[in-house]
Amino acid sequence: MIEFRKFILNNGLRVIVHEDRSTPLVAMNILYDAGSKDEDPDLTGLAHLLEHLMYGGSANIPEYDTPLQLAGGDNNAFTNNDITNYYLTIPSENIETAFWLESDRMLDPDFTQKKTEIQKNVVIEEFRQRYLNQPYGDVMLILRSLAYTIHPYRWPTIGMDISHIEKITNENVRQFFNRNYAPQKAILSITGNIDAAWAFNLADKWFGSIPGRHVNARILPREPEQEKPREITVRRNVPSDALYKAWHIGPRTADDFYTLDLLTDLLAGGESGRLYNRLVRNLNLFSEINAYITSDFDPGLAVISGKIMKGVDIETAENELIKVVDELKDGAVSDTEMEKVRNRYETSTVLSNTNILHKAMNLCIYELLGNADMINTDVARYRKVTKQMVSESAIRYFRPANCSTLYYLSDKPAE
Amino acid sequence: MDNFRTKQPPVKPVSAITGVPVENRVLKNGISLFMIDAGSEDVARIEFVFKAGMARETIPLLAGTTNMMLAEGTLNYTAEELNSTLDFYGIFQNLSADRDSASLNMLFLNRHIEKAMELAGEILFRPVFPEKELSLMMKKRLAGYRISREKVQNIASDSFFESVFGSNHPYGRPVKEKDFEAITPALVRDFHSEYYTPRNMAAIISGKIHEDTPHLFEKHFGSFSDSKLPAGNSLNIINVSDAGKIHIEKPEAVQTAIRIGSATINKRHPDYPGLKILNTILGGYFGSRLMKNIREDKGYTYGIHSSVTSLDQSGYKVISTETGKQYCTSAINEIYREISILQKEPVKNDELEVVRNYMSGEMVRMFDGPFAIADSFKAVWEFGLDFSYFNRMMETVKTIGPEEIMRLANLYYNIDDLHEITAG
Repeated sequence: MIEFRKFILNNGLRVIVHEDRSTPLVAMNILYDAGSKDEDPDLTGLAHLLEHLMYGGSANIPEYDTPLQLAGGDNNAFTNNDITNYYLTIPSENIETAFWLESDRMLDPDFTQKKTEIQKNVVIEEFRQRYLNQPYGDVMLILRSLAYTIHPYRWPTIGMDISHIEKITNENVRQFFNRNYAPQKAILSITGNIDAAWAFNLADKWFGSIPGRHVNARILPREPEQEKPREITVRRNVPSDALYKAWHIGPRTADDFYTLDLLTDLLAGGESGRLYNRLVRNLNLFSEINAYITSDFDPGLAVISGKIMKGVDIETAENELIKVVDELKDGAVSDTEMEKVRNRYETSTVLSNTNILHKAMNLCIYELLGNADMINTDVARYRKVTKQMVSESAIRYFRPANCSTLYYLSDKPAE
Repeated sequence: MDNFRTKQPPVKPVSAITGVPVENRVLKNGISLFMIDAGSEDVARIEFVFKAGMARETIPLLAGTTNMMLAEGTLNYTAEELNSTLDFYGIFQNLSADRDSASLNMLFLNRHIEKAMELAGEILFRPVFPEKELSLMMKKRLAGYRISREKVQNIASDSFFESVFGSNHPYGRPVKEKDFEAITPALVRDFHSEYYTPRNMAAIISGKIHEDTPHLFEKHFGSFSDSKLPAGNSLNIINVSDAGKIHIEKPEAVQTAIRIGSATINKRHPDYPGLKILNTILGGYFGSRLMKNIREDKGYTYGIHSSVTSLDQSGYKVISTETGKQYCTSAINEIYREISILQKEPVKNDELEVVRNYMSGEMVRMFDGPFAIADSFKAVWEFGLDFSYFNRMMETVKTIGPEEIMRLANLYYNIDDLHEITAG
């Protein structure tokens, strides 16, 4: 049970504090309800570029990192389709530096043309390093644009194309900040070795005076239901063929989210998942196989991906994969298997609770989803999933008409 | 307005608490047991460590394959049964082998500790290395190897180690496709019986430790005996090759991977803490000179890092980055320029203060929670050292001066001794 207190400042900023005295550190997490889904389709990659630029200094601070390092702190951030999240840990005696830094860049970050141009370069190198210069690196770029036709999940957070990043201006950055980084669109959590009342005082002192900004309500196009199978074949200079299949599912807050999470764990969790046992261990069709749900806030995807063993025909591999999934529809799952995936979930939850940074992040995410207390109640929702619910969800979502398939083939000449 | 925002709140110096007690027992059969009792949740982690890393292997892949095959079938469990049992109890298992050691890590809720120990005993001391599983393992590893060889980072790293440690020593010996065919069940079985023995092993348990934990270790591990004499030193000898430049062409790559570095001292050397600090200034943290210059000022790369790593028989330092092809030469020139500045100009106090405090904070993080403490313990224990190493490090972080940093830069970063590898 994670005990926490919550407080809303006058400007709308939500503050959550959880004390954990077993550590000398404090973790601070700031989540902004803004991600790549809030971008203009012609200017993708902007939310993530802005995350980089938030380190370039703010109204009263020339640069973010040095003062934090001077206080013994360590930080990072990530952007995804839904949110932008900044996090740090710092020895508790120096926590006020974290409040000073984070509140100043929420108040008024200092975007300049020069810094924007340099960070555009850094992000373009990141694009090359992680997506273009890696075998299979462009898979999500292709799969997203196949599975989604109008919803902004059709592009990845890094951006649809390098040309989008190249044309972003300093003015675009400023505008995106003003629209999305208001206090009422943010959630601040503080966990670890700190007195809750003291934390609220500091939050009020540093964040309370940031004026609320007007923000427009988010209106996103709803992805229409997929009515027939989609597929695409690409050929790349990679050593083995790979198969990617994605089915549309509901949003993170849907009742069956928990069922689907356990369902993909039944398929590919640990070394004893059904897909691994059948397709890797017994039939030797794949060299690796994975299944997961995207955990997107808006309707997301269930994805199964695998690398095909050399000499195996991709169609044969796909047919056997579908058989394994179809068995779930027929109620093939045993009580022991259900108990197994629930137990695995329990261990990972307890482990996650040993870490103040995980707790800080989860509190913010759950609060954005509706209620920070879900950090405590989620375990029970996983416990309630039954075999029947698994087969119902498999029937409902894992239909050919709801599926997008990417055949990623090797055109590497034999050596 | 907002006058209070213009100045950083007062910063207090921080110190890591390195005096964490580690309780040591020796089981009847010689297994060393270390216990670190900390943390608030009722979970524990056991790391079983063997001196069974690559340094012991006679042919490539043997140490890693033996390690990964441990959970592929035992006397009492098939691979499938073993993995479903581990998963059923929510026990997270991880096998790994690096240059010097090999280990099995198990994470579990304490109510399953006996099951975890029973299964660990099976995995470590009763593996049967079935031929069918081994052949599948080699096919999987070969597929993974082929993918990894497509990445310029891996091509450059492999070439770097070969250049630094020579192609005859396991630290530097490159792996080839044909090596995947050479591994047989007999070789794996021999490697296992020689190096996975009670006397060649330590168990480090961290988390919430209950009173009966030592008793449980004795019950589950105390009866295994060494099947062979304790392993002697391997005959592998490092032939350090001359520094030089190597370029590996990969025409379709859109970036070039750069590795610059050389063999160096390890944790047992008195200069090591100072070298760690020098490395931090150069490229060991986000505010480092290489990051500030090459990423934040020039935008040549997404990231650039330098690191110093201790090995049992040596050590190495390396600067790594990936840059767009058009920036490669400029980035390399800037790397050498930053090294020579460290050799010629004393570090200013402001910068040194930031590094002192940042590293102090890092040391606090290294002792935050049971698992971090266990990792820190293992990192010194493997070198025959104890936590006093961290006290020396802390002391050096607080007291080192600009002159000493310049001395170390001249002694350890002689540009003519550095190996420079590019792939892309």
